[in-house]
Amino acid sequence: MKLRMTLAATAAMAVLATGLAAQDTIRIASPNQVTVLDPIISAAAGNIEAYGQLYARLLRKDADGTLQPGLAESWTISDDGLTYTFKLREAQFSDGTEITAEDAAFSLNRVSKDENSAYPAGFAPVKEFTALDDKTLQLTLEHPSAPMLSNLEIFNAGIVSKDDVETRGEAAFTTDPVASGPYMVREWKPNDRLSLTANPHFWREGLPKIANVELIEVSDDNARATMAMAGEIDVNRGVPWAQVAEVDGTEGVSVRLEPSTVLYLVMPNHSKPPFDNLTVRKAAAMALNREAITKAVTLGNATVANSTLSNALNFHDPNVQPPAYDPEGARKLLQEAGLEGTEVTLMITPSAEQIATLLKAQWDAVGLPTTVERVDAGLWWSKLADADYQVTTSWYYNETEDPDLAVRWALCGTCGSDSYYTFYNNEEVNALTDAALREQDEAKRAELYSRIQQITLEDLAQIPLYYSPFSNAYSDRVKGLSLTPSLQWTLEEAEISG
Amino acid sequence: MKTLRYILLRLLQAVPVLLGVSIVTFALMVATPGDPIRLLVGDRATPETIALIRDRYGLDDPILAQYVTYLRNLLQGDLGASLRYRVPVSQLIAQHYPVTLFLVIYTIVLTLPPVIALSVWSARRQSGVADQVIRLLGVVGLAVPVFWLALLFARFFGVTLGWFPVSGFGNSFGEHLLHLFLPALSTMIWVVPILVRNLRSALLDEMNRDYVLTGLSKGLGERQVFRTHVFPNSILPTLNLFAVIVAYLLGGSVIVETVYAVPGMGKLMVESILARDYFVVQGATLVFALTTILVMLAVDLLSTAIDPRLSP
Repeated sequence: MKLRMTLAATAAMAVLATGLAAQDTIRIASPNQVTVLDPIISAAAGNIEAYGQLYARLLRKDADGTLQPGLAESWTISDDGLTYTFKLREAQFSDGTEITAEDAAFSLNRVSKDENSAYPAGFAPVKEFTALDDKTLQLTLEHPSAPMLSNLEIFNAGIVSKDDVETRGEAAFTTDPVASGPYMVREWKPNDRLSLTANPHFWREGLPKIANVELIEVSDDNARATMAMAGEIDVNRGVPWAQVAEVDGTEGVSVRLEPSTVLYLVMPNHSKPPFDNLTVRKAAAMALNREAITKAVTLGNATVANSTLSNALNFHDPNVQPPAYDPEGARKLLQEAGLEGTEVTLMITPSAEQIATLLKAQWDAVGLPTTVERVDAGLWWSKLADADYQVTTSWYYNETEDPDLAVRWALCGTCGSDSYYTFYNNEEVNALTDAALREQDEAKRAELYSRIQQITLEDLAQIPLYYSPFSNAYSDRVKGLSLTPSLQWTLEEAEISG
Repeated sequence: MKTLRYILLRLLQAVPVLLGVSIVTFALMVATPGDPIRLLVGDRATPETIALIRDRYGLDDPILAQYVTYLRNLLQGDLGASLRYRVPVSQLIAQHYPVTLFLVIYTIVLTLPPVIALSVWSARRQSGVADQVIRLLGVVGLAVPVFWLALLFARFFGVTLGWFPVSGFGNSFGEHLLHLFLPALSTMIWVVPILVRNLRSALLDEMNRDYVLTGLSKGLGERQVFRTHVFPNSILPTLNLFAVIVAYLLGGSVIVETVYAVPGMGKLMVESILARDYFVVQGATLVFALTTILVMLAVDLLSTAIDPRLSP
């Protein structure tokens, strides 16, 4: 009898517990995979989206994107712009130990200098981070860097526990890392899902409001759409343009277009014929009706790009333009240079099939007969980095609103990535990139970046196509959640109703 | 005793098969262009970082040396570690294999009753209306693409009617049954017709044998002859076909697992190939091969039980 009652009570409690858990869990399905929990190891989208939940940074961004104090309560910058002194607040890791300046120095030196650091570009000017005392962190730079503060907010600048990493080594990040962010790992099933639960020691009191988060990997667009419509997930990361209307039309689900720094572009290989020739690049650009391409591919959900930089970045210049659509002019240009009929091979991944069809049709039409070469993402990256292609099409985003990292990634020939492996290398642009980083005066920086955009458009370093917003579907149960341009979910302050 | 020796012998024969499979998989993965490290560290990593990590994982060693190292570890029961996740391959397989196994067994359990009912019905009234309809539906079932059908099922049963979940695996036995129902159903649609066609023609063959006439003439009822003689004799060819289909089901899991977001071996396999996660692909292939070998062995043993003339 007693046993039976206990059983009944247990069952009742179990029901109650699952009921509560279900209400307090937000399920986010994304095609982007979480492959590693160490914030410095990867700069792939799925990981970036998870890092932000696990590791707090010295600064944070509020809802409208302004920088706010994070783990650092306040800071001062020396007049020469070379020394930053941060005062850290009282805060703890998920295991209850104190977050000290020692931890911060360890984490940030790691991302800046460790040979395994996947993306140290934002920390290139760093000489050293040192802990002056328990709560005071000093950063010294080799040369001034205007975006230094905003770079301390990006995904890989998260603070990890020095003790834990030194004790457990790489294993510290394979199952249950010590977290400093709003969430910590409850269970990680690689290739399936990352289950997070609220970090009880998170420094922002009363946050996060949602108790559990499930980041579920679903690669198939249709599967995610069906799951969202069946109410099996609360957020669908990445609704394909063709599905926006259908998913948005489902009761209880709405698709939101959120600003991003994503820029879709055509990338000519400057190290090889035929695209090493400005005339060919120019004809290729004039052949494209970019407005029509944008409309056809994104069903009018994106903005036609006018510059080599995203319009969501600071110092984006709205007054520049690539050559206008002029197929006649393009053909004439090729004829005059004796280049009509130059054969072109366009390398694409399956996701670019639609754009490729349009590019091919328009290049064919002006006398650049185009062959489409299809490769998977793995091969694409290898061929790209080896300069083993003629022209391709892709996209990239930037982690901050400051254009420095974007320029370094996509337009600077001597900044490590050979202008997104297009091997465009203009010495003036390279010099301007460096000058703009060091310049502390906003107006002067704007001028420098404007100059960069003008030159790279004249050279047709790349042919910009369109600025694409994120398109995510949210259940009506979810309030206050969005994906920021820096690929971070604003889960910290989001709410979910039953 | 004899059977035991037979089993041992068969398992011993599996060793060279598995070795062959591992060599072919290894060679294919090595020959596939694309760098796993680039995919691992993300878009923004410098060539230096990539070179360093390649070196650390031994990916720049001579290919033969890499294979020998792999084989040596394999013999010690170590399948290696995932390049992507840095966790042991065995852990990933332990996580994904039960899901696919559940799905395959579930599909089989759902498949057998209709296969037997339909083929018996069809064979006993050859060229009757039921026979014609069953055969026609069979052709339709075979012709429908699984991918498309799975999508329709998900939309109709999952979204419109809301009867079944359209994704995942669930956490308990009951939930597994519920979550995997649509995936199993979608797979059934092409498996049932194949088996029905096969079993039906076997039944028809056997029904025209002399022993049927003998049985009837010595006064056994038609039902009795069918149940005790015709049916057991017809089941053997279908059983062998069934073993092949189980192997196909393992491979075919890729499709339904993608459409229904089921976290099983098919998903693991596809994503690992796309990410060039060499050791996971190796390990998963070996597990697939081993499962196929075991299923074949089980079917052979079952055949012997049904027809002792087949015993080794």
